This record gives sequence, structure tokens and C-alpha cells, in this order.
Amino acid sequence: MPELSYREAVRDALSQAMREDEDVFIMGEDIAEMGGSMGVTAGMLDEFGPDRVRNTPISEMAIVGAGIGAAMQGMRPVVEVMYEDFTTLAMEQIVNQAAKHRSMSGGQVKVPLTIRTQGGAGWSPGAQHAQQVEAWFVHVPGLKVVFASTPTDVRGLLWSAIYDDNPVMFFEHRTLYGIKEDVPDELEPIPIGQARVHREGEDVTVVATGRLVHEALTAAGEAESEGVSVEVLDPRTLQPLDEKSLVASVKKTNRCVVAHEAVRRMGFGAEVAAVVQEKAFDWLDAPVERVGAKFAPLPFAPVMEEYVVPHAGDVLEAIRRTVGRAA
Amino acid sequence: MASEVKLPRLGQGMESGTIVKWLKSEGDRVEKGEPLYELDTDKVTQEVEAEASGVLLKIAVDEGEVPVGRTIAVIGEEGEEAPTVSEEPEPAPAREEASQTPSPQQEDGRPAEVERPAALQAGGRVKASPLARRIARERGVDLASLRGTGPEGRIVAEDVERAEAAPAAAPAPVPAGEVERRELTNIRKTIARRLTEAWQIPVFQLQASADMTRVNALLIRVRESEEGPKATVTDVLTKVCATALMRHREVNAQWTDEAILLFPTANVGLAVATPQGLVVPVVRSAERLSLVQIAAARSDLVTRSREAKLQRADLEEGTFTISNLGMFQVERFTAVLNPPQAAIVAVGAIEERAVPVDGEIAVRPMMTLTATFDHRAVDGAPAAGFLQTVKELLEEPGLML
Repeated sequence: MPELSYREAVRDALSQAMREDEDVFIMGEDIAEMGGSMGVTAGMLDEFGPDRVRNTPISEMAIVGAGIGAAMQGMRPVVEVMYEDFTTLAMEQIVNQAAKHRSMSGGQVKVPLTIRTQGGAGWSPGAQHAQQVEAWFVHVPGLKVVFASTPTDVRGLLWSAIYDDNPVMFFEHRTLYGIKEDVPDELEPIPIGQARVHREGEDVTVVATGRLVHEALTAAGEAESEGVSVEVLDPRTLQPLDEKSLVASVKKTNRCVVAHEAVRRMGFGAEVAAVVQEKAFDWLDAPVERVGAKFAPLPFAPVMEEYVVPHAGDVLEAIRRTVGRAA
Repeated sequence: MASEVKLPRLGQGMESGTIVKWLKSEGDRVEKGEPLYELDTDKVTQEVEAEASGVLLKIAVDEGEVPVGRTIAVIGEEGEEAPTVSEEPEPAPAREEASQTPSPQQEDGRPAEVERPAALQAGGRVKASPLARRIARERGVDLASLRGTGPEGRIVAEDVERAEAAPAAAPAPVPAGEVERRELTNIRKTIARRLTEAWQIPVFQLQASADMTRVNALLIRVRESEEGPKATVTDVLTKVCATALMRHREVNAQWTDEAILLFPTANVGLAVATPQGLVVPVVRSAERLSLVQIAAARSDLVTRSREAKLQRADLEEGTFTISNLGMFQVERFTAVLNPPQAAIVAVGAIEERAVPVDGEIAVRPMMTLTATFDHRAVDGAPAAGFLQTVKELLEEPGLML
């Protein structure tokens, strides 16, 4: 089994799809010679040439708009928005165009577009370069939203996103690019809409996304030493949501914590909490706890950034609250 | 929002507890899970943890006995005003009561104390998790009867499962293995108090065995020749001890802080087991009574003891006690002093033992006496002299003449 970093896993999925399928190409700011601001597409220009690895002007609206057009014409473009903060500049194209065409055309038009983007705190990039905005897109019918947390997952899910006939918002986390793990020899597509249980447990389910999956696993280890058995579940795709796995897990543990780096208020966790109370109300033995960033623009100052976004300790405290062992 | 600290029910059947002391003062910061106060129940003294974090706004009950469910303190936010605390446990709201079976009545006609579970909120809403509610519904457990152990007193699934495992309130037959609880009767409390007092006294024990051959012969003759209640070994012992006490008056005594009191007559108490517990009725001036009179007095006292018809006077002014467990084949035992008396004798069974008699081994009915003395009042030598006399009189009752 080859060991790949999260960054290499993204590149591997893109490259394999492009080798296999001429309709797949990539487009974005500085993705060609420079290899992208995060180095994800480094070397791909050499293999696939400038027609399929295209630098674009600094216009997110144009990047996504061009991607939509190509997709409607039968291509499977993968466009990159350098920071998810900048999706704001492409909202018109994503929300009003990409998400709507298939429905508004009565199915005559499909938009098999993948919009890759990345973000996240932990390296002091400030309020405009580290937001986690995935929840915005979960609110838009017509879009699929993926947020992978491991090299294996990001590779398998990106493949499925590329071959999905609907527009997919594909979120990567800045601080995960360097993590490595052994991945399957052959790329195994991971179906969109399928959660992954990272760790089985009996007392509380932690539903975590992105970086918080790793924080949750750390917290789960701590909790275990306190005698609390924690199940860690990563939905991996936020839209569609694998409610079946989520509800089954909570029905088993009777308690639920949901954790993400994005702001807690109106975050993805609120939706999870709602689903859980709706579908597993009679199985809940404690209120669903939410862990997320404090409601503040992200500060530059590293200590303040650290204070605002959640870490393993915050997850652990929430776990303790649900099992009634808060200090 | 201030939360009231209520006296928890820490064990099945617990009706009240005694607050020993508070580990926090009013105004102190309290974290959930921190020891808040010491509570004395009939079983143990333990520290009780705070169920909420905040500032200890008010201690409603400093110390003393409190019924379960009574508000004893209030925890709230800094600067928050402590609400007035009702003296009574919160009454169960009408909605809850309507659904309950009629309250059990006490003998005096007042309704028996009904549990006020902590999870019962103002307005009649029971605070329970959805899972706890579902399990309670499925298994027919009444949530209103439970005490929640979750955050802020919420009933969680574990509470329902525990309650189902050990149904408390229902007058259902007690399943095998269940702990039976017997409420303390006054007599039990008195026994406990007096024996605990006695345990403080410096005592010593002396032991001697008596050959009961002649007592046995005497008893046979008396039973043959006299009407009325059959004389027993205890009756002989009563007479013998009374006689010996008159010869060793320092044993027929009582210690007080000012003086040692020596009594002019031997009022011999007999430890009697009754269904209600141990009582010690007194045969007065036994040294002046014949064996037959003692048997009659003893028979009357024992009968009335078992029927719980003793008068207060029957139990007073004893100067010495005999405790006989010989009928249970106990060989010998040590009795706890019966204060304020200075001595008690514990009597074992008469059993055949091989004993040397005139250089030969003989089998004789032997009885072992173990006497306990209050060393403050009696020294070893006079006590030994008393026991020696008892032994001699048992072995040769004619010496009493």
C-alpha cells in the first residue's frame, strides 16, 4: 500500500481521472507552473499540458462560470477556488447557475462540475483566508457538498465528485495537506453520501468533519482513559447526508456531540442536531452538544486564533457534558 | 438561574439525613462535582457533591436532620439574589398526584411522607431525557418516583434502569435477595445508645467454671416438691449471685463521677430476648427471696417481657445483670456491661466435661461463667472474690444457708 499525503492524494485522484478520461481537466489561479497556492497540482502541467491544466485570471466568478459552461457542454471540469473565503466572489455562478440548471431545464442540462477549494485556521492567515464556509452550500438545493478528512477519503471522494453529474463543492482543509497514511493500491471510489465510522464506541457519538475528525479522535482517546467509550463518525459528505449511519450510531450510544471548525451558530452541527432529535429523539439520553468556532471573525494573533477555533479539549469537554461528568 | 440543592435520597428507603457540616460557605464558588456538604444517614457519613456550578448563594439548613427533598441550599450566579426557600419539601403538583395511586396512610391517619424527587420541576414537569422517558414508558416505570442523577437532576436512562432493577416504592412482594429495611424502634435505639455508652467503660473479664452436679440435683428436688413455675438454672443463679453480691458489696455498685455507690440490696436483672429486642427486667432483693419465689417472679417478668407488657418499674433499679445463653448451647461468651451497673455475668451452657476429681478423671456437668466488671468501680481482687463465691455456691448450694 503506497503512503500518500492528503495533498498527494488529491493530486493522484485528479491525475488518474485525467489519464482515464479526456473530458476531465483542471482550471484555477496559478495551478499550472506554480502548482497551486498549496502545491496540490504541482507537476501536473508537465504530464497533461496547458490545455488541460489551465491558469485563469483572478476572477472566481469567471473560473466557476467557465467551468459551468464546459460542464454543460459535456466536460467534467475540476475548478479550484484558491481559498474558500473567495467563493463569495463566485456565489452567483455557484448558487444561481450551477445549482439550478439541471432542475430548471427539466433534466435536459447537467452540470458535472467539481469546485475544489480549501480553508481552515491553524496557521494565522487572518479573517479572510481561513474561514470554513461549507455550511453555506449545504443550504442550497442542487449542490452536493463533500469535506474529506483523510488521504484515503479525499482520493476516493474526489473521484466520485468528478464523476457525479451534479455540481459538487469539494472542501479540503489547509492543515490536513501534510498528513500521510497508507492508501489502497488501486483508487477505490468512495460513494458520495456515505459516512465513515473512524472509531467505534458505546457511550457517545462524535460527529466530526474536516480537521475536527482528528481532534475528535484525540478527545476520544482521552475520554477512553476516563472510562467513556466514544464513537467517532465522519459524514464525509455533508450533502447528501448519511442520516442512516448517523441515526444508527446515536441510537446505539444515546448521546451525540457534533464538532466542526466552522462557526457554531447556524453551522452544519445545527443540522446534525436537528436530524438527530428528529429521528432519534426517544434514544437521546442527553442534549446534543455542538462544538464549533466562537462567533467572531478569525483573529490574526495566533493565541487568539487558537482561542476562537475548537480543539480536542473542547470536544472532550462536550463529551463529558453529555455523559454527565463535567468537571 | 439559581438551582436549589435538595436533600438527595442516597439509598433505598432513606427518608431523611442529618447535615453534619458544610464544606463551602455562602458566597463561595462551587464547581459541579465538588464536595458540598457532609451528610449523615443511618448508614454512613458521606460527602455530597454539588450538582451544579455557580456561587453558593444561600445555605438554608446549616445542620441537623432534614427530610429527603427539602431545599437545603441555593446555587446560582454571582450577584444573583437567592430565592426564598420554602421550609417544606415541594408539594407534588396536582397533575402528578392525580395519576398516582392513593397515598399510603400512616397509622395516625396523616398521609405518609411521599418522595419528592429532585427531577420534579415546578409546574409538574419531570425532567427526564427522551431515552429515559421511552424506557420508562416501555417498562412501566413511573418517572415521577425517580431521582435524576444527570446534569441538573435530569433523569437519564441509567436512573430508570436502576429503578427497574430495584423497585422501591411499590408494595410488591420483596424479591429474593432484596435488602429488608427495619425501621429503628425506640427500644432498638435505646439498646444501641446504652450499649454504645457501655463500650466507653473500661472493663475487665473474669472467667470461672462451676460443677453443676448439685444444682442439677437441687433443681430436680425443687421441681418435684413445689407447685408453680418450674425453677431453672437461671433462678438458682439469681439467688446465688444475689447472695454473693451481699457478701461482696463492692460489686453491687455503681460508678458516678463523684462517688461509688454501694447498694444495700441485690436487684438482679435478667437479660430477656423478646421479639422487640433485648430487655432486662429486674428481680428485686433477690437475696431475700426463696428459689421458688424467684422462679415465680422470673416467670412473670419473662412472660410479660415477651408480651411487651412490662411496666417501667420492672426495668428500673437493677444493680447486677445475668445474661444466660446456655439454652443455645453457647459454651461461654462475654457480655457487654449494662450501665450504670458495675457488673454482669454471662452464662454458658451446662455441658459434660472431663474434669479431674480427687486425682481421677470424672465426667461432670460444668458451666462456665464470664463476668464483666466496670474497672472504675471494682478492682480485680474483689471481683475475683465475688466470682469465687458464685462458683462455690453453685457447687455447694447448701452454703447459702
